[in-house]
Amino acid sequence: MDRFRPESFLPLTPVAFEILLALADGERHGYSILQEVEHRSGGTVSLHAGTLYRALARLLESELIEELSEAPDPRNDDERRRYYRLTTRGIAVAKSEVARLEGQLAAARSRRLLKGARA
Amino acid sequence: MRRALFSLALLAYPRAFRRRFGAEMYDDFHRRSRGGGDTIRTLGTLAINGFAERWSAIVRWTWFSNATPHLYQPQGRHHMSFDTLRADVRHTLRIAIKTPVFTALTILALALGIGATTAIFAVVNGVLLRALPYRDDARLVNVWSFNTIENRPRNPLSPANFLDFQKMNTTLDGLEGYFAIVTPAQLRADSGTEVAFSLFVTSNLFNMLGRSAAIGRTFAAGEEAPVVVLSDGYWRRRFGADPAIVGKPVMLNGRPVQVVGVMPRDFVFPYPGMLGPSGFTRVTSIDMWLPIAFSGPVAVANRMLTGSGEVVRSAHWWGAIGRVKQGVSVPQVDADMKRIAAQLEQAYPATNKGWSATVVPSIDQSVGTIRPALMILLAGIAFVLLMASVNVANLLLARSVAREKELATRVALGAGRSRIARQLLTESMLLSIVAGLAGLFVMWWTLTALIAFAPADIPRIHEVTIDWRVLLAASLTTVLTGLLVGVLPAMSSATINPQASLQDASRGSVGSGRRRRARAALVIAEVALAVAITTGAVLLLRSFLSVTNVNPGFDPNGVLTFQMNLPPQLTNADDRLAFYRDFFARMEALPGVVSVGGTTRVPLGSTSVSTSLQRESHPLPAAELPEVQFRRAMHNYFQAMGIPIRRGRGFDSNDISTAPPVAIINDTMASKLFPNQDPIGQHIRIGSTPSGPWTTIVGVVGDVRHGGLEEVPLPEMYITYLQGPPVSPFIVMRTAGDPQRLAEPVRAEMRLIDKNVPLYDMRTMSTLRSDAISTRRFVLLIVGAFGVLALGLAAIGVYGVMSLIVSERTREVGVRLALGAKPSQLLRMIVGQAAALGAIGVAIGWLVALPIGLLLQGQLYGIRSIDPATFVSVPAILLLISALAAVVPAFKAMRIDPVEALRLE
Repeated sequence: MDRFRPESFLPLTPVAFEILLALADGERHGYSILQEVEHRSGGTVSLHAGTLYRALARLLESELIEELSEAPDPRNDDERRRYYRLTTRGIAVAKSEVARLEGQLAAARSRRLLKGARA
Repeated sequence: MRRALFSLALLAYPRAFRRRFGAEMYDDFHRRSRGGGDTIRTLGTLAINGFAERWSAIVRWTWFSNATPHLYQPQGRHHMSFDTLRADVRHTLRIAIKTPVFTALTILALALGIGATTAIFAVVNGVLLRALPYRDDARLVNVWSFNTIENRPRNPLSPANFLDFQKMNTTLDGLEGYFAIVTPAQLRADSGTEVAFSLFVTSNLFNMLGRSAAIGRTFAAGEEAPVVVLSDGYWRRRFGADPAIVGKPVMLNGRPVQVVGVMPRDFVFPYPGMLGPSGFTRVTSIDMWLPIAFSGPVAVANRMLTGSGEVVRSAHWWGAIGRVKQGVSVPQVDADMKRIAAQLEQAYPATNKGWSATVVPSIDQSVGTIRPALMILLAGIAFVLLMASVNVANLLLARSVAREKELATRVALGAGRSRIARQLLTESMLLSIVAGLAGLFVMWWTLTALIAFAPADIPRIHEVTIDWRVLLAASLTTVLTGLLVGVLPAMSSATINPQASLQDASRGSVGSGRRRRARAALVIAEVALAVAITTGAVLLLRSFLSVTNVNPGFDPNGVLTFQMNLPPQLTNADDRLAFYRDFFARMEALPGVVSVGGTTRVPLGSTSVSTSLQRESHPLPAAELPEVQFRRAMHNYFQAMGIPIRRGRGFDSNDISTAPPVAIINDTMASKLFPNQDPIGQHIRIGSTPSGPWTTIVGVVGDVRHGGLEEVPLPEMYITYLQGPPVSPFIVMRTAGDPQRLAEPVRAEMRLIDKNVPLYDMRTMSTLRSDAISTRRFVLLIVGAFGVLALGLAAIGVYGVMSLIVSERTREVGVRLALGAKPSQLLRMIVGQAAALGAIGVAIGWLVALPIGLLLQGQLYGIRSIDPATFVSVPAILLLISALAAVVPAFKAMRIDPVEALRLE
């Protein structure tokens, strides 16, 4: 893995993408990611803990996210809690995934699969 | 508790993953579950994810170990264990290729066992376990009237009572009714009139069951119009699957009826068990459904209303099926219905005295009768599989003995004992997995054959398919078999003493004491299993023979029978009698016909109907009147059927409607209702109305087994058709030769008489008789096959073990011979040893067979569950088999050349 190419990670799995999105505005711990995903989707997407941590493991392996050495707010420190944040690689991959999805959306609009066609 | 469950589910994950994320995951789980939710489901998903993680980790570590970065490194043990597995698999394959015959035979034996077991399970699954083709079928119940006076709990309802149950219940989300009888309807076609089997149902029935039509629609609520919904089968058979038929009219019973829909192929209603005991025909598969209402011309035509226009409460021919409310249990519904029945009993004592209610889950109603027979088959095949596994375990054990030196060398070089045991278990698992895959084919063939040969009266047999449950059962069976087969060899090899084994190199392997005991245990187990299963099979066989020997009360040989429907335009008795006169005369004139008669209920081939009866000599209050079976005899019925007239006379042509009414009764009725009296000349009155003419008994005939060969004859009376001609009788014809040969001439003659009179359900009385025991025959054939297999397996097992023992003891035998032992002593010794093992097995098997006999009780006939003949002969046979199986190895031992044997030293 000499040269880093964000495209090699695409397409992201929906769960991985949700995690990257949840971490985009700052570091969170696992449970907070679960809540954020559920909250943002209005309860329609419900992540299962097993799925979440397997995805976290894969993302950590590929160094798209990293673990914080200490909790950002010492008052909330809980030894069981580990906080995760995006790495620069993670940001790059998330961005290219967004670009990919935008391309698909544009295609969908031009074929009138999506309302509000602007193309 | 929940913490423990969580930890259990977490075990599915690789250890490193658990360590890294376990605490966080538990925290999430803890917070989540405070918000409620389905804990079991959550934990299930958790575990499934864990297995997925484990599997993907294995795949990545093993095959792509350098390609991906790992968050958690494969730690020593995990890595090792998978490497070991790979090595073991490779080793097993190498051995399997080196001993192809052994491998093939083992796999074949296990594949047959697993395949047959799964096939039987598939039948059990399709018939007993799968959902009925209705929405949320577990909540459906059938409601019956309970005749407490005669203790008949599943009696049809009367329409008025049905309406009250429908209105007054508080535990059901809807109760719908149907006629508990199939009505042969006449469908007019260009080629003549044919019969279609129809069922009247309340218009909302399909909605309540949660099924809609495949084409068109089902009935609208309250629909009374002349409309009909067709079954998929009839639509294909009769209308060539033409969708355009929907919306068109057909001529049914002489009037146009519009086809509004066709039901989906999987839809069945009712199952035969949901029909009542009476009816016009033995046919139970429905061609079409018609709506019934409680007023209007259809209600009148179907005798739903009394003379004064009220819904009938006294006659019982309605079935009812309802949906239990959410959160209500079946016993609660039962109590609710019994409460209503008690209220009705108070309100309408004249008709409802003694009538309670019964509620039965619809699945039990549909398949309850076949459940014991299928359970016997499942238990039987499980025994056979167990025996096959024991045999294979035996073979593997023998091989592990032969491989003792290989294993001892490995132990000497530092292999742990658990490592050796694991190698052997891997071998047996691999064998059984391959066998399980091959077993899928065996299952498919067996299943096809089972369905093809299954008697038609096994309900839902055509709903049997291979679904996920069957596949799950197949894999579980495979894994269990693998363990079963492998455990003994693995355990016995764990005691290998490398020093002894390797020093002993020249002597060949003398099995250690422990291994010898293991082998003896296998022989004993096998003989015991064989005794148990063969006892079951012999009990069933003896019952079958007793049923076959039952005298049905008539002579079935040479008799042809069929049902027919009179043309609807013959509305009065005189017209019908004129038709019958002509009909019987012309049928009797056919060459080969000896005598012709008819009845409204053909023995063994139709339903039954009963009536209450008053005796002039013995007046009783209405509620206590005896109930007797009731049928009409037509023309020369008793001669044609060969039913003997014991006393008095048969009907004759003078017993016409203007003559005094007469009846003939059977032996049972004569002895039960007129004990110590001459029944001839006694006066009786049908029904409970205390007015009307008395009927005189003019004759007594022999008992006939109407309901089935195993059913004790009930009191039964016949009246003559001349005093009340029926519209859809069964005709019986005694012929001089093969009755089948008259089928075509009869049809041709009928077309000449009136092409609009349909003949159907044509068969010989011999067929009816053999159909009456078809389920019993089916179960017997399968269990009998199990029994034969069991005997064979036991013989092979004993033979295998004794050969092994002899070959192990070659040297000892040589020494004995050299020291002057006589060959006959050797024979006695070896056969004696086998017989001793057999005797222990027989004793254990005997103990196992005792409860089996009791379990079979319901299926036995004419013998006791602990039948002395069976319980003596079967053990004796197995003892003989185990001794005989040892004879060949014993002869081998006798022919051992002492010089050769000792030279091996």
